Amino acid sequence: MSHIVIDDKQCKACYLCIDECPKKLIKVSDKVNNLGARPVEFYDPNGECLGCAMCATRCPDLAIREVYRG
Amino acid sequence: MATQVFKVPDIMIDGFKFGFCPGCDHGVAMRLVAECLDELNLQENTICASAIGCSVCIYDYINVDTIEAPHGRAIAEATGVKRAKPDKFVFTYQGDGDFASIGLAESMHAALRGEKISAICINNTNYGMTGGQLGPTTMVGQVTTTSPTGRNLEYYGYPMKIAEQFALCDGVAFSARVSLDTVPNIRKAKAAIKKAFEYQIKGLGFSFVEILSSCPTNWRMTPQKAHDRVRDEMMKVFVPGVYKDILESKQV
Ligand SMILES: Cc1ncc(C[n+]2csc(CCOP(=O)(O)OP(=O)(O)O)c2C)c(N)n1
Repeated sequence: MSHIVIDDKQCKACYLCIDECPKKLIKVSDKVNNLGARPVEFYDPNGECLGCAMCATRCPDLAIREVYRG
Repeated sequence: MATQVFKVPDIMIDGFKFGFCPGCDHGVAMRLVAECLDELNLQENTICASAIGCSVCIYDYINVDTIEAPHGRAIAEATGVKRAKPDKFVFTYQGDGDFASIGLAESMHAALRGEKISAICINNTNYGMTGGQLGPTTMVGQVTTTSPTGRNLEYYGYPMKIAEQFALCDGVAFSARVSLDTVPNIRKAKAAIKKAFEYQIKGLGFSFVEILSSCPTNWRMTPQKAHDRVRDEMMKVFVPGVYKDILESKQV
């Protein structure tokens, strides 16, 4: 199943990936990370992720470490 | 079975952490450089000359031999390295202030001499690291800490169009300007960086890519707004495109 892997310790909460996701599967977490930021998290209960990697391509901090398609 | 379509480039140093401000495009540009080095299998054969500015810490992120140059002198160091070791792949990663202001003489003469090196220049229309002063690419009317009423033509003159200027140098094999404002443009940027690197490998001459990047902190904008500015303001003046490609015989 297509999915992404986020390292929430690298996320600086710029939220550029949120706008990028065509299925709107990335949301702001309730947790606060080591940087004092509220990182993003991947939320895909219905398996909609396309594995397009637009989020990872946009992420300036390589916080989206892996993307799988298929 | 799901196939992996994105990963952290192998050449990145284990446990690295970008030190840039949130939303800064330096991280995207460095990742693209790393991906190109990976894809061209250059890790073992590369020497990087790192510049002063936000680009300075490249040696903390990308695992290649790197020498640190004084402000503006990365191209001069890269020239020396390449001449001493012509079989090495040599590139610089510089800000616009470094490349086109304090280092303009070094950069332009290396281009005129056709040094077989590659230069990546991040155009963020200010001196990012030192707090957003007016630089060679600051746009007419743009407010910076040293032009609080906006870049005024009478006082400061015009910004420099680096990719066009370098395309006019006869020693240049490839000169292009790309933007990181959208994902499709990020993909185009990577293709341009890869081509610049390949031109050095083929020994064709000086290869250059100017990358339009956002600087949300110093522009006092959200990362989202900063990309809108890149698109709506910068790309109108600094038009992306390939300004010279000796294999396609494209000239300005
Ligand atoms: C000889 C010298 N002069 C001035 C400085 C101060 N200084 C450090 S970084 C910088 C600006 C770099 O700006 P730019 O090249 O545009 O890179 P950016 O930080 O925007 O990526 C300056 C002026 C210095 N380190 N050395």
